[in-house]
Amino acid sequence: MKTKGFLIAIILLTTSQFIMAQGVDINGFARNYTGILYENGEFNMLQNTLNLNFEKMGDRVAFKANPMLYLYGIDSLDFRLREIYLDLYFDNFDIRVGKQQIVWGKADGVFITDIVSPLNLTEFLLPDFDEIRIGVYAAKIDYYFGNSTIELIWKPVYAGNEFPGPGSIWYKPPEFPAPPTFDYSKEKINPSLENSEVYLKYSLSSSAIDFDLMGAYTWDQTPSMYVEKEFGFDTVTNQPGLTGLLITPEHHRLNVVGGSFTSTIKSFVVRGEIAYYNGKYFQTTDPFAEGALSQNDYLHYVVGVDYGVGHLKLSAQFIQKYIMDYNDLIDEEEFGNTMTFLARYDAMRETLHLELFSYVGLNYGDALIRPKVTYDFSDSFSIILGSNIFVGDERGMFGRYDDNSMIYTKIKYYF
Amino acid sequence: MKTKKITTVLVAIIIATGFTSQIMAQELSGREIVEKVYNLPTGDDQTSDLTMTLINKSGKKRIRKIKQFTKDMDNMEKSIMFFQSPADVKNTSFMNWTYDDDSKSDDQWIYLPALKKTKRISSDSKSDYFMGSDFTYDDLGDRKLDDDTHKLIGTETIDGVDYYLVESTPKDEEYMYSKTKTWIRKDIFIGLKKEFYDEDEELLKILHIKKFEEISGLMIITKSEMHNVQKNHKTTMVLSDIEINTGMSDSKFTERMMMRGM
Repeated sequence: MKTKGFLIAIILLTTSQFIMAQGVDINGFARNYTGILYENGEFNMLQNTLNLNFEKMGDRVAFKANPMLYLYGIDSLDFRLREIYLDLYFDNFDIRVGKQQIVWGKADGVFITDIVSPLNLTEFLLPDFDEIRIGVYAAKIDYYFGNSTIELIWKPVYAGNEFPGPGSIWYKPPEFPAPPTFDYSKEKINPSLENSEVYLKYSLSSSAIDFDLMGAYTWDQTPSMYVEKEFGFDTVTNQPGLTGLLITPEHHRLNVVGGSFTSTIKSFVVRGEIAYYNGKYFQTTDPFAEGALSQNDYLHYVVGVDYGVGHLKLSAQFIQKYIMDYNDLIDEEEFGNTMTFLARYDAMRETLHLELFSYVGLNYGDALIRPKVTYDFSDSFSIILGSNIFVGDERGMFGRYDDNSMIYTKIKYYF
Repeated sequence: MKTKKITTVLVAIIIATGFTSQIMAQELSGREIVEKVYNLPTGDDQTSDLTMTLINKSGKKRIRKIKQFTKDMDNMEKSIMFFQSPADVKNTSFMNWTYDDDSKSDDQWIYLPALKKTKRISSDSKSDYFMGSDFTYDDLGDRKLDDDTHKLIGTETIDGVDYYLVESTPKDEEYMYSKTKTWIRKDIFIGLKKEFYDEDEELLKILHIKKFEEISGLMIITKSEMHNVQKNHKTTMVLSDIEINTGMSDSKFTERMMMRGM
């Protein structure tokens, strides 16, 4: 790993020198991120990061490359090329080809119509959102007329959400009634025309309102777990019964339609976003359900409001996920309700920033509370002291991590 | 060339004028004098680089650089800014549409490159300070003529130049300033000094115009300084590479350009 890291550093260094000589703009940041768990005082995060942006822009063409190096501990190096793409500019349309992050929708911190780029959830929802999104290999065309835009995306290579694995503090192993065996043969989706994904969006920016309408023929970025039960003679109870489970992670096609809007009403900014998902498979305990899966459509939406007074900015959102044709055997609530709150105060001529952001799960009364203080020592150097506090019922998506509450510092240098 | 109100950050300190006819002080009211300042021609479109230096009481400086574009359209003025430094806000852009109809609020959007997202923001917080500077959005030109009652309280001659001294009192009693006093040159209707008084009627800030020059036939203020006398910090604004009436395309002022950059 040390050799690999050294090689990457050398390549980046020599590449940077060459690229600078070509007049390419280089910017980015270096960051130290240290986190300690409240529970036991262990360092759960010792990370140094180098984020580089190489950008060159001309009248008709542009490119961007965004390599990112994460060093965990002493020598565990993770290299990611988050984006690398070419832009072609024409009079009424633009084309972007390559690995790119694509962001849709108006909501903050939730993903309703924002489904083009999958998510890296290996550290739950804690990283900054630009680091949570995974770049996708895609061709994107934006056609402009008046204040409207039509965006068409073709994604030939599937990319799914990434989840924490065993050994991570964010990994919560599911409980099985019998020993599981996993078959990963169907998890991979081979790149092909047939397996491509297509996304289409119309958007309008006007004085009264901004809105967009979207549709997608995509894959579910989280695999469903097809479960086959194995019966035999239980050697413990000396009775015939369930002796094992064969679990096959499998992706399914999803059809999604939706839209979002934002507008201002005096000092308030109101926004909403909604998507209808067709083809989703949920886990079920229904003994007659094939593979322990139930196909149900669902609706996911958010409404939110922002308000600013002086140096104080406030924001709140209500999010609901509604599973249609629901029955009690589905391993999820019919209505999943969540709220987000944000309060931010800027002081000392915008060098000191106090922020409190929280997710609140309304079904189980759990929450993730994220206070932080940022102080900008200079224009390029800032230090952050913050905490991620998980509270509430362990059945909730936040309460289940109550052992992972942490305090952290981030020191960040921009260049 | 149209005349228009000075309504945006972009044109806020670009108060341009032809040399207007000399009018006797006694013929003009305070409102009429300020209206002449507001209605000075500024060109159909403008491009410039803005360097803003924030200086704290110990003399430490922080610098912000912005590329900005403004265009006067049929019933509105559109402007767009691209933040170039400091590094943490590089490629952030801000777009503002200001309407000739005073009853209609501005529309504003900000593009955040890290989030790859354009967000609509409220334009109602005119008393907010712009990028941590000593200028509020209102100071930079967002204020409307009839938001205040303007009264001519005297004339002064400084270094051989004659000025109107106009006191402006906000009609909204909750406004952050209790009053302002502006020294306006009689010959060219440029306000070259302005005092801002806080809610307790104590002097809060002083704006000095340090330099103006003729560009494309218009008088353009190219350097100004706002001094907060209570907290003893300052902000200077310097405009450079100014271009006027270049025939800028309407398509410059769109979300597409916010995201693409300059």
